Amino acid sequence: MKSSGRIALALVTAVSSAPLTPNAFGHPEPAPVSKTAIQRAVTKKEIKDFDLIDQTGNRFEFRRLSGKIVVVGFGYTTCPDVCPLITAAMRSVQEQLTPAELPAVYFLTITTDPEIDSSSVLQSYAKRYKVDFSNWSFVTGAEPALRSVWQNFGVRVQRKARGLIDHTALVAIVDQNSIMRIAYYGTAPQPQMIGQDLRRFLKTKNAR
Amino acid sequence: MIVIRVLGAIAFAALIGCGRNPRMDALYVQRCISCHGPNGRGDGLVAASLPVRPPDFRQTVETKSNGQIRRIIAEGRGTMPAFDPALKQSEITDLLQMVRFLSREGRDLQWWERFDTLVVAHCSVPWDAVLGYDDGPEETKR
Repeated sequence: MKSSGRIALALVTAVSSAPLTPNAFGHPEPAPVSKTAIQRAVTKKEIKDFDLIDQTGNRFEFRRLSGKIVVVGFGYTTCPDVCPLITAAMRSVQEQLTPAELPAVYFLTITTDPEIDSSSVLQSYAKRYKVDFSNWSFVTGAEPALRSVWQNFGVRVQRKARGLIDHTALVAIVDQNSIMRIAYYGTAPQPQMIGQDLRRFLKTKNAR
Repeated sequence: MIVIRVLGAIAFAALIGCGRNPRMDALYVQRCISCHGPNGRGDGLVAASLPVRPPDFRQTVETKSNGQIRRIIAEGRGTMPAFDPALKQSEITDLLQMVRFLSREGRDLQWWERFDTLVVAHCSVPWDAVLGYDDGPEETKR
């Protein structure tokens, strides 16, 4: 794992402690990633309001999602390892939702690379995953604004090169009151697990 | 004079652009190996977790032109990232050539394929500048 997975792997003892073996290029390479390389944490952290820019170039206000359950993922469009898995998992969860559940849930992808990820780049990325934009936004913005969002969610971001970022691999469930309730750290988030947690929160009386 | 410059540019391109080099390997490790695997067989560490398994270069690359491969690297496809604008054109050329090299491992090359890296290098030379057709730096550009 070369970029974004590095920090995430540090959180997953089973993987981070795996021995490194040289690959065909003589570079160290971690042992194969298993689908169980995921850490689920129950949290109760307030997410502060923020304003960013969505994939259409319009202003995105987090407070407008109040009353919905928000599945938040962090990543960047040129990520060569973990982010495709995160976006694909979120897309799978979106596909699993019933028409009755859809209005109560929102998906949000927050970039960790504002240098590359403009609104149009994010839109092209999202289209490749065939996402349903009716309840999913991909957001970017100025780095200081993004940095405070990253910090609020506990996401560490470190630029390694142009279009190559180390960041915490996080998918989070934020409840109807803007409280982060579940955090999934790791390389291969499981849509079934996220879906189960999501439905548990949907059953709470605050769900619209 | 122009002929000499053209021949010189081809020779230069052949010298620097042909043949697998550490720069290509490093780029491939950085950007591609997680999904495509060390030999381009589609068996990278995260490949099995992707919704669609990456292809084996030996089965797909030879059916595509350099332009098609370049476009896929630059614009992405499915879950594969779009590397333009993150990578420079020269880096995309490096990856294009790397993909070609990996697709040919263990295979007898057709005679025309032996010239392919030279063609890629040739097409990557900024001919307008080499031949003196460019207008120099744009002073009005801000």
